[in-house]
Amino acid sequence: MKRTHTAAATLAAAALVMAATGCSSGGSASTSTGGGNAGGSDAAASLHLPNLKGQKIQVAAVWTGAEQKNFLKVTARFDQLTGASTTFVPTGDNVSTFLGSKIQGGGQPDVAFLPQPGVLQQFAKAGWLKPVDSTVKDQLAKNYTPGWRTLGAYKGTQYGVYYKAANKSLVWYNTAAWQQAGLSKAPASWADLLKDGQTLSDSGTTPFSIGGGDGWTLTDWFENIYLSQAGATKYDQLTKHQIKWTDTSVAKALTTLAQLFGKPTLMAGGARGALQTDFPTSVDQTFAKSPKAAMVFEGDFAATNIAQETTAKVGTDAKAFPFPAVGSGQAPVVSGGDVAVALKNTKGAQALLRYLASVDGAETGIKQGGFLSPNKAAPLSTYTNSVERTIAQNLISAGDGFRFDMSDQSPAAFGGTKGQGEWKDLQDFLAKPSDVAGAQRKLEADAAKAYANAG
Amino acid sequence: MTTLQSAPATAALSPAPPARRSPGLLKRLAGRSTGGLVRLGLLIIALFWMVPTLGLLVSSLRKPLDIQASGWWSIFTAPASLTLHNYTSLLANPAISRSVANSIMITVPATLLVVIIGALAAYIFAWVEFPGRDVVFLIVVGLLVVPIQVALIPVTDLFAKVGIFGSIASVVLFHVAFGLPFAIFLLRNFFAQIPQELLEAARLDGAGELRLFTRVVLPLGGPAIASLAIFQFLWVWNDMLVALIFANSSAAPLTVALTEQTRQFGTNIDVLSSGAFLSMIIPLVVFFAFQRQFVSGLTAGALK
Amino acid sequence: MTEVLTAKPPATGGSTPADDRPAARSRRGWITALFLLPALVLLGALVVYPIGWTVVRSLFGAQGFTHFVGLSNYGSVFSDHQTLTAIKNNAIWVVVAPTIATGLGLIFAVMTERIRFATAFKLVIFMPMAISMLAAGIIFRLVYDQDPTKGVANAVAVGIHDTFSSASHYPGAHPRPINHQLTGPAAGPFTTPPLAVSSRPVNLPLVGATPDDLKGASQAAGPRSCPGGHLCGTVWMDFKPGGGTPNAIDPGEKGLSGLRVNLLSGTKVIAHATTSKDGTYTLPAPATSGPVRVQLAASNFTAPYAGVNWLGPTLVTWSIIGSYIWMWTGFAMVLIAAGLAGIPRELMEAARVDGANEWQVFRRITVPALAPVLGVVLVTLMINVLKVFDLVYIIAPGASQQSANVLALQLYLSSFGGGNNQGIGSALGLLLLVLVLPAMYVNIRRFRKENAR
Repeated sequence: MKRTHTAAATLAAAALVMAATGCSSGGSASTSTGGGNAGGSDAAASLHLPNLKGQKIQVAAVWTGAEQKNFLKVTARFDQLTGASTTFVPTGDNVSTFLGSKIQGGGQPDVAFLPQPGVLQQFAKAGWLKPVDSTVKDQLAKNYTPGWRTLGAYKGTQYGVYYKAANKSLVWYNTAAWQQAGLSKAPASWADLLKDGQTLSDSGTTPFSIGGGDGWTLTDWFENIYLSQAGATKYDQLTKHQIKWTDTSVAKALTTLAQLFGKPTLMAGGARGALQTDFPTSVDQTFAKSPKAAMVFEGDFAATNIAQETTAKVGTDAKAFPFPAVGSGQAPVVSGGDVAVALKNTKGAQALLRYLASVDGAETGIKQGGFLSPNKAAPLSTYTNSVERTIAQNLISAGDGFRFDMSDQSPAAFGGTKGQGEWKDLQDFLAKPSDVAGAQRKLEADAAKAYANAG
Repeated sequence: MTTLQSAPATAALSPAPPARRSPGLLKRLAGRSTGGLVRLGLLIIALFWMVPTLGLLVSSLRKPLDIQASGWWSIFTAPASLTLHNYTSLLANPAISRSVANSIMITVPATLLVVIIGALAAYIFAWVEFPGRDVVFLIVVGLLVVPIQVALIPVTDLFAKVGIFGSIASVVLFHVAFGLPFAIFLLRNFFAQIPQELLEAARLDGAGELRLFTRVVLPLGGPAIASLAIFQFLWVWNDMLVALIFANSSAAPLTVALTEQTRQFGTNIDVLSSGAFLSMIIPLVVFFAFQRQFVSGLTAGALK
Repeated sequence: MTEVLTAKPPATGGSTPADDRPAARSRRGWITALFLLPALVLLGALVVYPIGWTVVRSLFGAQGFTHFVGLSNYGSVFSDHQTLTAIKNNAIWVVVAPTIATGLGLIFAVMTERIRFATAFKLVIFMPMAISMLAAGIIFRLVYDQDPTKGVANAVAVGIHDTFSSASHYPGAHPRPINHQLTGPAAGPFTTPPLAVSSRPVNLPLVGATPDDLKGASQAAGPRSCPGGHLCGTVWMDFKPGGGTPNAIDPGEKGLSGLRVNLLSGTKVIAHATTSKDGTYTLPAPATSGPVRVQLAASNFTAPYAGVNWLGPTLVTWSIIGSYIWMWTGFAMVLIAAGLAGIPRELMEAARVDGANEWQVFRRITVPALAPVLGVVLVTLMINVLKVFDLVYIIAPGASQQSANVLALQLYLSSFGGGNNQGIGSALGLLLLVLVLPAMYVNIRRFRKENAR
């Protein structure tokens, strides 16, 4: 499951590094400070939230630990505004399985956070989701760009509110290993990235740590390359399966990926080792005391793993640079996020969605730290430190220039299930990167089946 | 079957009675000296068998960073600090502590109900004649092998219609239903051995069926009921699949709460190892306290 | 099963109604119904009815009872490669796991027979029966971890391997990709082009030696003196932070000591040397006048043994079966031990008196006498194995989950995960039921036979 697992440290570090590598688009936001709290209350008043005294609302999401604690603050604020009592239900690893069995038994929560638009579409098609009411739509129209809005819709009906976002185009690196190899500048292109990789290899440190045990990290590799190389139009077409996976653009992207996957010496443990490495381990081993690799690619949320599972300090021992441009394309910006949907047609569920889509809801989330909001109307001044603010501004100013994670938008059977579909096919490709055509055939066969079932 | 009649199943774990002390096969095979060899072999096998559990235990007592850094066996060469930290933080997690309570609230009723309902039915099958009795009993015996997976989907549907899906009751009912064939089978066979004269005497004294059941059959059936209870207890306590499907999070037992911790986002082997060990404590206590009943139940009901 | 349990065969016609007056009879009828009702209601609603429901449901599509699809769910079950893998794996499970568990159980039971203090041993072997498949799964995920510093199975495998072939000095070290002095496959050996013996040192630059391997290495140096006709040179790590000048021994670049350097004539090794602390080596003067080549042997560079790929696609099913055997051998052992204790000693003694040796006694008397028990154990384990789910679900990593697939898991995945197709799920459930039917038949038949007695 791809999750937006942002911790405060994450955004901080990512922003730091991106600023250092010339990626930030200015810090004008930092001039507008203060007023977050007062503005929030005003916004809350204009929301006209109903009185829900005595009503119980259940919210389910995959979050645990600090993320869960932070979100509880948001629901507490909602309870304070409405008088409802909201409880949180952790769904565990596989959200769609968890909710699927609950819904069939009629024991579903009021609101759930889905980590993938693909699941949203599957659920919407099955008739399990309740459309948002007009007051939620009003909030969405005011506060969200069309790009983020349509991600929460199915066949023209709005079902979801994107509450939390993630940036999946970052490469984290071990600063000590880089120094040892004499590297100092973030690679500007894929070719540079491979060249730096070779330099690192020459210096005695394996360049890349790949968490191929979790199929989704491989889909993220592919998506960044594909978005940059083939462009946004093709990316959208492939996302909707309007072009086939046997398309030459896919072949080109896989061939590019094979420049890395085909060189066992560039990956910690070789291909076999990579396939046995889950995502957390791939991060941990990059920042361990004697690191097994110098770089690991993944979203801002990797900082959580660095902070919690290694002794490395984010920002000094561990830094990140944006995923470089491939070929003549632009550097990719692939994002992820959690979408809130109503599973029951209750007043409480709609009110909560309205609140989550509101400025006050976004601000409350932002104030807890480690949170990136796609809400464009939330004042950037709410971010508690300048680095988080910089990243947030990047996201907001990107407008609709970003692309949402492709596999997250596919039917779950293709892009979101352990051991199946794209996850499995790219794992097979990692094991045998010479067989581009074979991988394409398998991807297309699985995609055709999954898209046909999903309609 | 006649060959085994003299074998009290409960003796399986204990050394053979001295009365039949004829030399064992292997000892005879190569004389007394090999006895030592066999013992050595057994010791090695036993150690080998214990290594996996030991690994879990040691891991659960190590700090998360230590687990990342080295194997659990390194505590033998470099005795590092062991800590109960994983356990304290695990129990501080409200989801886990609630799930322990849920496990108990599921397991105890599921065990009691199986014993009571199973004993009632077994008594009838053993001692009361009614038309079609044998056919019904054979069907019950046949149901012993039905995989629970077959029933998951339809029962989900059924519970949803009744409105108990997600509750502790739904998990309990499912466990009771699937525990019944074994319970009836085991108890019926045991009850059938009660001397007929005892029952007849009681009947002549004017005792009704209920009285017969509570005053004669239940006390005499003690050992079999104990075996059954232990078995059902362990089965329900250790179940993951049934609860995974039927229990919602407020009703989830420990096993399900732990699978919810096996998220892909974080190598939380610290949580998993301590949680797994926590989940093993009660079964192990039950097992060591009641191993005789466990074994006799096992030998009696190997069908399950 | 009954043969193990019963002290005497249960008498079926146990009821002798003492009171045949109609009123009493009808009261007894009521009580009979009352006693049976809870059990029959539960069994009917939650076991029997679901079977019928499943049969019907399997004829409808994913959308529900509105979409009749006939037998097409069965068609897709038997054409789906995932299900076919599951069936194949279930076949492996059913054949391998019960056989090995029973075999080991038999061996352990015989070994512990008549040995005092065997109770402790049996408890150790038997203990895993008491814990959940989930806990066992977590235990074995730890055991099979690929990383030899975490998984005990690979720690042992690597330990054994390294005892028989010593680790190389510089795994992963290699010449720069464009290198005119040294060429060879990725893992070595690296060989120079043919060269004439001259006083010029043959320096061999390498890169990619890890910082750990270079701990304690000293500054590389050019060969100080080269006796006439000898071949000398330096092997060094041609890299320092920042890169350094390629092919030149820069200050700060370390010599690679302890490397084996071969002198080749054609493909034959005619001499060899080992590099010293500063990376220098000296090869004796070649006897031939023809061109020779200098080679860095592959043994210098072999990657450390990474252990067995326990949870890779090839071995994953077998590894999980291993964990199952760990759990269930105790079961087999205890049942067989109970059977063993029941064999009449007189039979064996008589055979021995007749001059049979122990093997013959075992083959002709013990095993036949145990046959019913062995049969019960095997059948029980087979039924159990067909339903295996938790172990596979927990132990198999994502990349090999499909390779480890079994029917129960496939049923769960297709009904509740990803696809949410209850039609397919029902068809799979029915398939599972059909597979255990023979066992059901065996049970019923055995039971009737016993009752008939």
